[in-house]
Amino acid sequence: MRKIDEVMNWLLSHTEQEHTAKEIADALQLDRTNASRYLNQLQLEGKIEKQNGRPVKYKVLKNSESSSTQPSLDKKFSLDFLIGAEKSLNVPIQQAKAAILYPPRGLHTLILGETGVGKSMFAELMYQFAKESGMVTSSAPFVRFNCADYAENPQLLTAQIFGVKKGAYTGAEKDREGLLSKANGGVIFLDEVHRLSHQGQEMLFTFIDKGYFRRLGDSEDKIISEVQIIAATTEEPESTLLKTFTRRIPMTILLPDLKERGLKDRYMLIQAFIKEESKRLSKSIYINKNALESFMLYECPSNIGQLKSDIQLACAKAFFNYKSQGKSYILIELSDLPQQVGRGHLRIKENRQELEKLIRYQDDIFKFHYDEDDTYLNDEDVNDSYFYEQIEHKLSKLRNDGLNEQEINQIMSMDIEKHFRRYIVDLSPKFRKDEIAKVVDVQIVEFTDRVLSEAARKLNKEFDEKIYYGFALHLNGSIERLRNGKKIYHPKLNLIRVNYPDEFLAAMEIAKSIDETFSVETPLDEIGYLAMFLASTPNELTGEKAANVAVLIIMHGNSTASSMAQVVNTLVGTTHCHALDMPLSMKPQSMVELAIEKVKEIHEGKGVILLVDMGSLVNFSELIYDDTGIPCKTLDSVSTPIALEACRRAVLGRELSDIHNACTELMGRSTATNQINDIRKRNLIITVCFTGEGASERLKDIISHKLELGASFEVVPMNILNRKDFAHSIVQYRQTHEILAIVGTVDIEEQGIPFISAVDILAGDGIDRLKKLVSHQDEYIKIGESLSEHIKSVDAKVLISYVRQFIVDSERMLKVSLPDDVKVGIALHLSFLVDHIKQGISHKDKGELEDYIAKNSREMALIKQQLKSIEHIFKIFFSQSDIAYLTKMILSNHQDTV
Amino acid sequence: MKKIMLVCSAGMSTSLLVTKMMKAATEKGIEIDIFACSESEAKQKYNDVDIILLGPQVRFLLSKIQKSVEGKNIPVAVIDSIDYGTMNGPVVLEKALKL
Repeated sequence: MRKIDEVMNWLLSHTEQEHTAKEIADALQLDRTNASRYLNQLQLEGKIEKQNGRPVKYKVLKNSESSSTQPSLDKKFSLDFLIGAEKSLNVPIQQAKAAILYPPRGLHTLILGETGVGKSMFAELMYQFAKESGMVTSSAPFVRFNCADYAENPQLLTAQIFGVKKGAYTGAEKDREGLLSKANGGVIFLDEVHRLSHQGQEMLFTFIDKGYFRRLGDSEDKIISEVQIIAATTEEPESTLLKTFTRRIPMTILLPDLKERGLKDRYMLIQAFIKEESKRLSKSIYINKNALESFMLYECPSNIGQLKSDIQLACAKAFFNYKSQGKSYILIELSDLPQQVGRGHLRIKENRQELEKLIRYQDDIFKFHYDEDDTYLNDEDVNDSYFYEQIEHKLSKLRNDGLNEQEINQIMSMDIEKHFRRYIVDLSPKFRKDEIAKVVDVQIVEFTDRVLSEAARKLNKEFDEKIYYGFALHLNGSIERLRNGKKIYHPKLNLIRVNYPDEFLAAMEIAKSIDETFSVETPLDEIGYLAMFLASTPNELTGEKAANVAVLIIMHGNSTASSMAQVVNTLVGTTHCHALDMPLSMKPQSMVELAIEKVKEIHEGKGVILLVDMGSLVNFSELIYDDTGIPCKTLDSVSTPIALEACRRAVLGRELSDIHNACTELMGRSTATNQINDIRKRNLIITVCFTGEGASERLKDIISHKLELGASFEVVPMNILNRKDFAHSIVQYRQTHEILAIVGTVDIEEQGIPFISAVDILAGDGIDRLKKLVSHQDEYIKIGESLSEHIKSVDAKVLISYVRQFIVDSERMLKVSLPDDVKVGIALHLSFLVDHIKQGISHKDKGELEDYIAKNSREMALIKQQLKSIEHIFKIFFSQSDIAYLTKMILSNHQDTV
Repeated sequence: MKKIMLVCSAGMSTSLLVTKMMKAATEKGIEIDIFACSESEAKQKYNDVDIILLGPQVRFLLSKIQKSVEGKNIPVAVIDSIDYGTMNGPVVLEKALKL
């Protein structure tokens, strides 16, 4: 719920008197200034009024309260904030609202669903809705009663609900009021209503039919109570018992079980529950990838209730480890999970693709904090009615940014194509007809069948299965949207009309059938979309398969490599991993030749990652590169998990160096090959071509001419005839020089050195990139000189080199990206900090970052680790608050890479 | 007399810059009050100053501070990283007064 809505809701439920901003801030745990801001906003919107005097008091405007008795569709109620409200719970929520709003006093309702699907919470939210919509007063009672509690004693059970007249049975010594009377004017929730005795059921039905009841042992006094009954049961809808209920209770709401609700809802639930625990512990909770995946996938027969308690259990275990083992942060690992949850990870293979689409895997550890709204859900993964909203949202944003219609149309059409790709191309092959029937109304499936075969006949073309599914899915979304009275917008409408006149005509006829069948009015823009479906040909849409880094395993032994590749392919679910076996009798030279042939065959244009075991194989990548010019990288001593990771990343479309680094890290080796960028060294830009004359000389001239290089910069042309010699000279240069970039006609991947192609220098942004690198280096040289004047306790130039390295490493560790000027600021801060510590100048800990420390304990631990080398070299120690400030500077300045 | 506030994380690096800016101001004969403070101290002082400058490392505060002094004609800016890095008091002062 938005904070401002919380404020409004609180005011609505506290209408007895006026309130100050402070009271509201305290009640809702808000900052007082924020509370005032919301209050002012609400006042401007005319929802509340301000009372004169000091302190200023606020109250809900009378008409605002009464106007809400006719709730508009736009307003959000507590019910609408349920996870899955737009999708899996959409129908139940619509039903619930209808049941409450039905005049004059709402409809009695029966909620069905398995154990743990949230029936009682749903009932309570219905009651909240009754209050929010003004159907009952804000002080109306809500009485909950579980019929299972007295199931052993039917008489007592009935007595509880209906009340007792004195002397009705032995022991009934005085008149007692029943819960039905207590709930007068409000709502009664009867859980496990099927446990009610036969007599009790009859009494309940009489009340439902006639609006009155009699107490036990009372045959005269009719008691009238204005109560809305919400009953709930786990009984199968088909059971005979239930049939009696469904016949007498007008509204039946079926809550879906966890499995039916899909992975997105499940993720949202997990996120909400972990955040709840985080609030309880007032610390961030971290969970590693495998553990999170287990929660996403395990068999959870008791639904949300069980999911929640399993999460609580895991959090408790992780918290215990954190305390007992003195860890620096709370981390849920696979071993902390209850056994049945841990088993969920066995199902990762079938679900990997779907999870990777749904969740953003930026790190192997996920962080949850109660105060943060972050989510790891991919924006891409949105349902279709949401797609239209995105279009609308983006449209208004672009207009606000002052773009003209033509530019807007261009940008928007790209999005639309993406939408199409998602529907047609990305539709996974397992998404068969019976699958589609699960998410799409049967009526729509049949309708699609009919209209598409009609269109196929008219247009004289065949429609691929994929188009069929895509069309059905799309229709499902657009009809829902039209029914909700929302707009549909198509930026390419005119283009489509002109380019595909026949398809457009056919689409118009389909639209006519849609209008007749589903009683909606299909707008012209939607016809544009339909025409796009009709105009698409599968080949055109399948497009080119994106190029990925190829994966090749080469190992000693008759079948070691091929069997590892087989395992990897099976687990990842691809055929992307290739293998070459090297029997011990084979000579390395013949193996090189085989490898070269294989690399040529499997190279898709993005390089090859070689996974090898040992010996001569380790040097293959350079030999292959020399022969073929295809960039290769080698990982040696490879094991199945490493091969899995490499293949997984390759299939995801990651770059060669990214795959290489990730695997190296996974193997526990440091990737810190980019040495300290020492500003005392001379700076070098290398230009390369095959001969070391011609092109590289020419490039040198261009660079020297376009860049005004200071005295400490050099440009050196080199040849790359022999890859090994080249690598050797690089190593030598690195001793005395800082290599800022390699520029050349041949693609060179040298650890940690940026490469700029000759084409980019001549025609692209190459010169600008080079300028940036140079000026950045220049900047540090200047800073180093300036610092030398002010910092005397240590060699400032050495210090700034280490500081700079720290910033680069921290960015990588925390997976953030910082603007250049921020890096300079942090460098200055850290340099002076070291100087101060060295001189014994103490800064008193103001304790202002305590919350921050609780929230970011893992990030703090990582930064602390990165600071170790500075602590070591300069013989100092950083305090907790020093580290907290640094962590904050680094995390808060993160910019999303565009 | 104009008041300039420099905000940084813990007052680590800005204090030196303040000294240099003050020196530059005295040489030019400008009467001005310049002081440095940390993020949390700054909060209470937004409205008592005429110009707010941020160290580049607290760039993330920019939009927040801009919002809270909205409509009050108090310019807020991030100090240029080269000027900051070289502790160039005169230039920072000059640019600040032009805001």
